[in-house]
Amino acid sequence: MERVCGICSNIHTLTLCQAMEGLTGQTPPPRAQYIRVIMAELERLHSHVLWAGIASKLMGFKTMFMTCFEIREKIMDVLAAISGNRVNYSMNRIGGVNRDIDDPAAILAMIEQLEGEMMKTVIPIFTTSSTARSRCAGIGVLTEEKAISCGVVGPTARASGLGQDLRRAAPYAAYAELDFEVPVEKAGDVRARLFVRALEIIESCKILRQALTKLPPGEINSGEEKFKFVTGTATSRVEAPRGEVMYSVSWKEGSRNPNRVHVRTPTFANMPAVRWMVMGARLADTPLIQASIDPCYSCTDR
Amino acid sequence: MTTLLDSLPQKLGTADQWTEKGGVHWLDPGELSVRDLCLEMIAAHARFITITAYQLPKDEGIRLEYHWDLAGQLLGFPFLLKAEPSEDPKIESIYDLTESVDWIEREIHEEYKVDFTGRVYEPLLMREGDKLGVNLREIADICKPEPGPSGQEEVKK
Repeated sequence: MERVCGICSNIHTLTLCQAMEGLTGQTPPPRAQYIRVIMAELERLHSHVLWAGIASKLMGFKTMFMTCFEIREKIMDVLAAISGNRVNYSMNRIGGVNRDIDDPAAILAMIEQLEGEMMKTVIPIFTTSSTARSRCAGIGVLTEEKAISCGVVGPTARASGLGQDLRRAAPYAAYAELDFEVPVEKAGDVRARLFVRALEIIESCKILRQALTKLPPGEINSGEEKFKFVTGTATSRVEAPRGEVMYSVSWKEGSRNPNRVHVRTPTFANMPAVRWMVMGARLADTPLIQASIDPCYSCTDR
Repeated sequence: MTTLLDSLPQKLGTADQWTEKGGVHWLDPGELSVRDLCLEMIAAHARFITITAYQLPKDEGIRLEYHWDLAGQLLGFPFLLKAEPSEDPKIESIYDLTESVDWIEREIHEEYKVDFTGRVYEPLLMREGDKLGVNLREIADICKPEPGPSGQEEVKK
């Protein structure tokens, strides 16, 4: 399931493992729950910065594209320092995680350096630059009413005035113990989606700082290698960088494989709303409008 | 204090009560139609999430699970569709009530050949003119090697 998405691979294994923990009665230890949060927020950072780079390129702002990808490389260095991998991290397992964070202070120092770079480049340029404003303000509008009707999720929903975020509404892992804001914008245009993601980068850094500081001692998984699945269906939901991911896993006791795994990805929910966003738009704006939902085609296809 | 979740079964006119299982609050909709359920969910400001389809063994039909989010709580409503072997399973579409179901109704129509009545479908994009209801199970059957001299089994020998 790690390969459902090439960008947020961690989220898919996290959601799957949470569903399977429901079928096996496993509860990850507190340290594992914090490590799951750290991985999820690092993944959100690298996904949002990658999107910022692509959006910059589509705006005709190519130097910003290079800056974003340079920052993203550094975020991937942090992910590699924790997991040993740049894309498919293999961090989650049923009942916990596979790898520990041995030196949280070193990771925290890397995050603080990254945050400083982003606060000097990505955040001010996306929130105050006239280039970003002139290319993004007032285009690709999705009204709050349409956002509700289309059932959009994640930053796309939050940029249309909907304050939905599963980390807050239905906390999983260690999110209930962490303090953060859910940025919401009302305008519903491309600039609002830009704003929401820029503010989410700041919130992710805030969550990472707390999680790394409060990382509890103890085991990182239940230590079990073989699991006894009960017959039934378990469902899990997680707030991915693009919005809500949901897994339903059905299992028959004694079986080696699940009967059915149904995956609902955020782009599958967001993509149909693009037809409303592009109505009346100039043809030249449509690539940026389409990109503003941060579409993931592999997620859509599953 | 009575929550919205507690008052919903009465509003929906069903005698059943919520059962929490596998991370979902389940409610048997009983005689309630999928359209009436949808209208009640919209009135309660619930958010549609997805429909999960299950092909049941033998001739037991198709089970559709409609998932809604109500203030962070995941709700599930199962509908069992039975049909004669010569007919396609049918259920009313709710696309005109909430367009968020558009793609998932289309996907289930294409993969399980469920007819969501009252809506039109766009033609298959990548398999134009091909048959509907080709889900993973059927693909596995189609891909089984042919027995005999030209089949895979023979080649292995």
